[in-house]
Amino acid sequence: MKKLILFCALLITFSSFSQDQVLETSIKTLKGETTSLKKIISQNDLIILSLWATWCVPCINELDAITDVYEDWQDETNVELVAVSVDDSRTVNRVRPLVNGRDWEFKILLDTNNDLKRALNTTTVPLTLIIKNGEIVFRHSGYTPGAENALYEELKKHI
Amino acid sequence: MKKKYFLVLMAACCYSVTFSQNTETKSSNKSSFSQLINNFSGALESNAQWYLDDPKTGDFEEEENIRANSYLRINGFFLKDFTVGIQVESYAPKPLLNYDREFDKELSLAQYFINYKTTKVDATAGYFYTQFGSGLILRAWEDTALGLNNSIRGGKVIYSPFDFLEITGLYGSQRRGFDVSDSDIMAFNTELNIDNLLKSDFFDELSLGLSYLNRNQKYISTNDQVNQDMVHIPKNVGSYSARLGVSFKDIYTNIEYVYKGKDTRLNNIIPNVVSFSENKLFDGNALLFNLGYSAKGFGINYTFRRLENMSFYSQREDGNLINNPTNRATLNYLPALTKQHDYTLANIYLYQAQPGLSVENYESPRVKAGEIGNQIDIFYKIKKGSALGGKYGTKISANFSYWAALNVEVSDPDGMPFFSSDNLTYKSDFFNFKNKLFTDFNIEIKKKWSRKFSSIFTFIDLYYNTDYLVEANGTNISAWIGVAESTYKFGKGKSIRLEAQHLATNDDARNWVGGTLEFFFNSNFGLYFNDSYNYEDSPVEENRKIHFFNVGGSFTKGATRIGLNYGRQRGGLICVGGVCRPVNKNTGITLNLNTSF
Repeated sequence: MKKLILFCALLITFSSFSQDQVLETSIKTLKGETTSLKKIISQNDLIILSLWATWCVPCINELDAITDVYEDWQDETNVELVAVSVDDSRTVNRVRPLVNGRDWEFKILLDTNNDLKRALNTTTVPLTLIIKNGEIVFRHSGYTPGAENALYEELKKHI
Repeated sequence: MKKKYFLVLMAACCYSVTFSQNTETKSSNKSSFSQLINNFSGALESNAQWYLDDPKTGDFEEEENIRANSYLRINGFFLKDFTVGIQVESYAPKPLLNYDREFDKELSLAQYFINYKTTKVDATAGYFYTQFGSGLILRAWEDTALGLNNSIRGGKVIYSPFDFLEITGLYGSQRRGFDVSDSDIMAFNTELNIDNLLKSDFFDELSLGLSYLNRNQKYISTNDQVNQDMVHIPKNVGSYSARLGVSFKDIYTNIEYVYKGKDTRLNNIIPNVVSFSENKLFDGNALLFNLGYSAKGFGINYTFRRLENMSFYSQREDGNLINNPTNRATLNYLPALTKQHDYTLANIYLYQAQPGLSVENYESPRVKAGEIGNQIDIFYKIKKGSALGGKYGTKISANFSYWAALNVEVSDPDGMPFFSSDNLTYKSDFFNFKNKLFTDFNIEIKKKWSRKFSSIFTFIDLYYNTDYLVEANGTNISAWIGVAESTYKFGKGKSIRLEAQHLATNDDARNWVGGTLEFFFNSNFGLYFNDSYNYEDSPVEENRKIHFFNVGGSFTKGATRIGLNYGRQRGGLICVGGVCRPVNKNTGITLNLNTSF
């Protein structure tokens, strides 16, 4: 118990952290190749990262909503959306047909045993991050209708 | 008594942390000490319930009516390539209802690890998670919502000497509650990317996977009589997997075969007493095949799977699901390959995979040896501007699944009516779909009417074989479910969602009606109410004419989410995330808290 209090006290005092190791977590491309967020973000300095799943209705609503405005966002901010599916092997085979069937133009990656989800310390999806120059500058979990507008407002701060 | 304040303390801590994060100003000249401390990250999750007496469904009859499952994870990063982590868990004063009773400590260090990772080597000592291929041979994972954690305590090394080769070796014991199983697991995996090896671009993917897993557990007989016919029961039971994945332009396919070595089978003469049949050994196997095609605006995927005697636990006795309803300490991952529905009424009759070998003794012994079946998914977007597509396009998805029990021929030289003997054997057909267990045809249409208004319509038609899946009573269920939901956005994150559901059947508890009303004030704060009601008279009285409702709200800010809910939970089989467990009706207040820092 005492140790726990000490730990909490420690955490209250200092809180931001180095994210390098988190972003190095291995994830897979749709072609089965191993990659990591670190490699992805080295190609673009402004990224929206969405952790989603085929069985998660709010996740799909969020990505559908962004699809409708994605071209405008890209024109104005040069952002790239990276959608990492946390579907496990029960549903992972649905990812590819769903992405094409819904006409999403995002970069799709797979986190089948939830290694990245764990490294990002998240328990629920969707989780939406803005990553600017390799640093997580914004974090939001859950999606409510219209929340994409708030995300865009936040995004514009980081151009 | 102290422990009761634990939750409050944890909550207080994380609020302070969130607060400190919000007010902290970034300083560019960090001292080396603060940099050291800044290399920590963590998360806190707490799910608490206060069970209440309910005039409609009765008093809460178990001890401890306030309970909480809490998890605190802290990871530290140092020396560039190292990560250390701990996970503290608390089930105070007891785990929530329907969670694994092996989580029997109020507060304890549950897991720890140290990891070293470079581009070629990824080595972990302590507790780790892993998955080989699709998990058909091995998957160690965690899901706190299900109360499931089957990580392995030991060592794991992943070595990737070339871009076309990845080799994994691991050794350890699987977690079981706060302890580990009394068996040793040894496993190897090889992933070969033939594409990269041949430096060819002909295929988009051409990969081969080979795995081996061994469980070493001493067999201790549960038989108190001398058995002359007893065979040698192996200490080591192995399983082998081979996989091939091919992707060419818009077509992709993968196939996997698993063979599981011979082992005893559970004896189910007295359902909750663990005993084994010691005269015959049985091996198992699995075949998984997937084929898909997808191009812009369209996608289709077909999956076939056959499982025979594939349940594999790190302790043999956990195969008795009456004693282990939460499926603790499973080595492989065998999910139901059906559509995972989101609506309440669509989760009443839910299929669970039937991978294991078991014998039920009713009038004549029924041997359940496994399942065979398939499913197909189709996704299609009707183009913008067309007659059906409208201004925004219309999105359609459909799924059909069909699952059957393996057809078996049983021979039991010493069996008597109502009881099978230890000399029972069986033969199975390889390709026979006639023993229908479950079918589900469903279609979902998503239509955006305007910038502010959209709807989703869902239709589900299902068949559920109660006689096989629940209890041998000769019944089955045919039902259809219709759901319509609409969302209206007021702007600035304010929105309202209304959902209506109906389940129609002449079987089991007959018809249900349900609905949800959800209102979001902004993208951080929302309130909801939902209800389901079994309104028809039927012989099944358990849930009849009682409102099973939930009213609550959630607040999200950055990495913190708090949910508060008051509701009444129906009794029966409750399925979340593809895992079903029998629960008693209960009423209460739930508090969920998640944060990370």
